[in-house]
Amino acid sequence: MIIEVEDLVVEYKGVQVVDHVSFSVEEGEIFGMIGPNGAGKTTTIECIEGIRENYSGSIRVLGLNPKVDRKKLYNLIGVQLQETSYQDKIKVWEICKMFSSFYANPLPYESLLNDFGLYDKVNSYVSKLSGGQRQKLAIILALIANPKIIFLDELSTGLDPQARRSMWELIKGLQKDGKTIYMTTHFMDEAEYLCNRIAIMDKGKVVAVDTVENLIKRFGLEETVVFKADELNLDEIERIAGVTSLERRGSEVCVKGREINFVNNILNYLGNNQIRYRDLKVIQPSLEDVFLKITAEKSEGM
Amino acid sequence: MKMLYNITYIEFKLFLRTFVNVFFSLVFPSMLLLIFGGIYGNEPSDMFQGHGTVDVSVPAYIAMIIAVTGIMSLPLSVSGYRERKILKRLKATPINPFYILLSQILVNFIMTVLGMVILFLVGKIVFELNFMGEFFDMLVAFILSTLSIFSIGFAIASFSPNMKFATVIANIVYFPMLFLTGATVPLEIMPKLMVNISKAIPLTYAVELLKGVWLGKDLSEFSKEILVLCGILAVCTTISVKKFKWE
Repeated sequence: MIIEVEDLVVEYKGVQVVDHVSFSVEEGEIFGMIGPNGAGKTTTIECIEGIRENYSGSIRVLGLNPKVDRKKLYNLIGVQLQETSYQDKIKVWEICKMFSSFYANPLPYESLLNDFGLYDKVNSYVSKLSGGQRQKLAIILALIANPKIIFLDELSTGLDPQARRSMWELIKGLQKDGKTIYMTTHFMDEAEYLCNRIAIMDKGKVVAVDTVENLIKRFGLEETVVFKADELNLDEIERIAGVTSLERRGSEVCVKGREINFVNNILNYLGNNQIRYRDLKVIQPSLEDVFLKITAEKSEGM
Repeated sequence: MKMLYNITYIEFKLFLRTFVNVFFSLVFPSMLLLIFGGIYGNEPSDMFQGHGTVDVSVPAYIAMIIAVTGIMSLPLSVSGYRERKILKRLKATPINPFYILLSQILVNFIMTVLGMVILFLVGKIVFELNFMGEFFDMLVAFILSTLSIFSIGFAIASFSPNMKFATVIANIVYFPMLFLTGATVPLEIMPKLMVNISKAIPLTYAVELLKGVWLGKDLSEFSKEILVLCGILAVCTTISVKKFKWE
């Protein structure tokens, strides 16, 4: 385990914003934390990064205690913070050079700028960079340490779709280079695309940690088959094994179910009865459904 | 030390790229000297006990430079860096967090010295400025004045929740310092009431100390000023240590 968090509690003005949280991150994985705003994601990541010290519980990052071994730790991890800006009138090469001077064994920032397609901006003021370029710079500054773990806190917030996509590929590339990545996001598609494992955080608690596939399985979510057909015996469809609900809107039929063979059963029925259907699609449950289900359940319980 | 040097060097460059900083710490004091020196010259004057206007103004303007860097530039950059999470980002690196703050103090100190050197050269070349004191005494008076005034600035940065608040407080503290302490307008021309008001403003003691030592008086004649400046330094440093937040 490259990161171990045990019984982490953070209190802020008498409220437990992080409420007895325990989880661990494995070496080489992309670990994502998702949750609504104010769930405690940033507070948790900042405790692990060693920026926040007013917590109870135990945190180990690469075997180090972030409260005690900060200098050692910061030579081994790279950090991108939510909503950081940089000094006015500082140039790209200047901030890179300054950060390089903080580390024991820095990577050459020129080649990092090159890898990220920012080399032609080396003499630009940081304030003149676009949102996407600035986020790339944030990653470069996190990478200068040649870290084993990279922390990304809402990296893609505020980026346009293209910049977001290219950021995803960069992050995948970092994983291929052997880095462990711990990220927070509130984009479900991002978490689903990038993360090997996901922790869902809500109201200060980690409510689930698993792979996307397992999360969907665990929460017993339904698959949906949608198709168009004019003549159809709805009663028969409702009796197909696995079907849980059925809805008809005009010529469109929407069938939900959760058995393993549910989709197959539907297709077999349509084929066996020679029903002419069109525009058939199968919609897999997504992380978003899991997320909504979990957070909705919790709200009802309040 | 290499880290401290690097961050200070960058911050120094950034200071020089900011027009307001450069103008008020490096250019404005010399401009003022050229204007008033041009009007009154540097001939012995009865108002200043036989000293020339320029000889009296230069140490007072040094105090003004200290107020610009210490009360305006220092707290605004520190609180701005905090508000924009620059301090927080720098803290998430192996650099000693104390160096991050020290670099701000150093840069403003260096700029104060630089402003003073330019002022001295302009005075020397244009008005035949006289320095009548002891170099060592002047150094002590300068460093004590700077530390004391900078500590006020740092305390402002420490208790201000955001940059807007810091700006308001810095202005409230700065402008009376500029006009009511003898830093720009000599106390000698002011009525008794204004002189009494000046006694409540910390910079007055720095002006008196710097001026006195510059004109050849001994440090020992300024025990009151030295005591006040040390007291301010102690109080404001305590406030800073207690109230400072990284974010």
